[in-house]
Amino acid sequence: MAGTIRAQYPATIRPIRINCTGRVTPSLMMRAIGKGADGVIVAG
Amino acid sequence: MLEAARTPGLNIYTYSEVEDVSGFVGNFKVKIRKNARYVNNECNGCGSCFDVCPAYGYDEFNEGMNPRKAIYLSFAQAVPSMAQIDMNRCIKCGLCQNVCEVNAIEFDQEDEVLELEVGSIIVATGWDEYEPKTGYLGYNKYPNVITQMKLERMLAPNGPTMGHLVRPSDGKTPKKYLFIQCVGSRDLNKQTYCSAGVCCMISIKNTKLIKQHYPDADITVAYMDIRAAGKDYEEYFTASRKEGVKYVRTNVSKIHEDPETGNLKVILQNTLSSTGIKEFEYDLVVLSCAMVPAIGVEKIGNILKLETSRDGFFKEFHSRLNPIDTKIPGIVLAGVAQGPKSISESISQGRAAASSLARLMGKDKYRILLIRATVDKEKCAKCGLCELNCPYDAISLKVDGAEVNEILCRGCGSCLANCPSEAITLRYYREPQYEKQIDAILEEI
Repeated sequence: MAGTIRAQYPATIRPIRINCTGRVTPSLMMRAIGKGADGVIVAG
Repeated sequence: MLEAARTPGLNIYTYSEVEDVSGFVGNFKVKIRKNARYVNNECNGCGSCFDVCPAYGYDEFNEGMNPRKAIYLSFAQAVPSMAQIDMNRCIKCGLCQNVCEVNAIEFDQEDEVLELEVGSIIVATGWDEYEPKTGYLGYNKYPNVITQMKLERMLAPNGPTMGHLVRPSDGKTPKKYLFIQCVGSRDLNKQTYCSAGVCCMISIKNTKLIKQHYPDADITVAYMDIRAAGKDYEEYFTASRKEGVKYVRTNVSKIHEDPETGNLKVILQNTLSSTGIKEFEYDLVVLSCAMVPAIGVEKIGNILKLETSRDGFFKEFHSRLNPIDTKIPGIVLAGVAQGPKSISESISQGRAAASSLARLMGKDKYRILLIRATVDKEKCAKCGLCELNCPYDAISLKVDGAEVNEILCRGCGSCLANCPSEAITLRYYREPQYEKQIDAILEEI
């Protein structure tokens, strides 16, 4: 999305493509934070 | 419409509403409520009851400009040609029953609910004219400010005035006309879209019709831009100008009425000349209002679970590459239900919709993607959370656990994110796949 509108975003943001935001489970978000991510953005 | 009504195998239910739709492509179950007409199928539309009926209502087809009886034919070419009773107006005197030779009148008739099985659905809900707020450009405040639809009915030979143009205030034939374009459209505070040039072309057509009936009529069209894009449209616009119709590029700022004559004083500025703001007097002002989604379209949208675009029209699969289909297989759009368009474009889309479905229904098999949710029934605790959270009604709780309808399922995964017992998996998008992605990304930091 940010790419298609030519928006800049920090290189430390790592996107993971999901088919629907409804698919995101709390355990996935907690796993990311547990492994050292500063935050998780669910966007769609 | 009459020809369609005579076609074998084609059933038309008029004066009816869709109440509920369930199922999926190829196997839709539709519940239709046929509203009670209080007249049975014996009616042949002879009309002898209209003459004796003592109760009156407003003729909705003629924009309420003339009275009709409480028992009436909705409009001259109605299909089927059957009378109906407006129970809000009927006084149940029974005079119609006395004159009816075929005993068609049934005061105790009730709504009938039909259940149909259909393979696919075309949504063609059409449009309604935008109704400006009372007082906006004098609408509903001054009788001589009318909408395009009212003018259209007045100009019709079978309309309330038999094709004669009269002013609502005094019944005189107007001499000076002003058409105001883009009422309620191309306006950041109202509809932001342009109604696809339809209102431009209707105005041009009506100026030509008025000129035909009254060659000495003085007609001005106040426009923002004339959008005459289409085959022969520009030539039609040029023909109207050649007949002496004045086109003024302007935004009308104010309208007020001369209380003595009922004439309208309009303040406007021709933005293509340096004449400044001036006041002009007109006998009749016609508002060319935007096309908006038909009244009640939200209900159909909720029943069919269709998305709507920002403008309120139904959302197509892709606005440029596939404006016919919706995101739900087996449901397609035709005409203004999808967005404002002219008659010829509506016909094109109607045919495209029919062929899109013919291609789908002509095959014995229906292919789906494998990205679908699957349930491990051993793990399922039968809590029913998945059923509550499915936006497509694709998952339902059965005795032995949740069951996914693979045709309805779109593979969004809302069910598995909500499943407390982790009994649901989504093919190609399994939990360990994401876990590995997360781990790999966070390792390199």
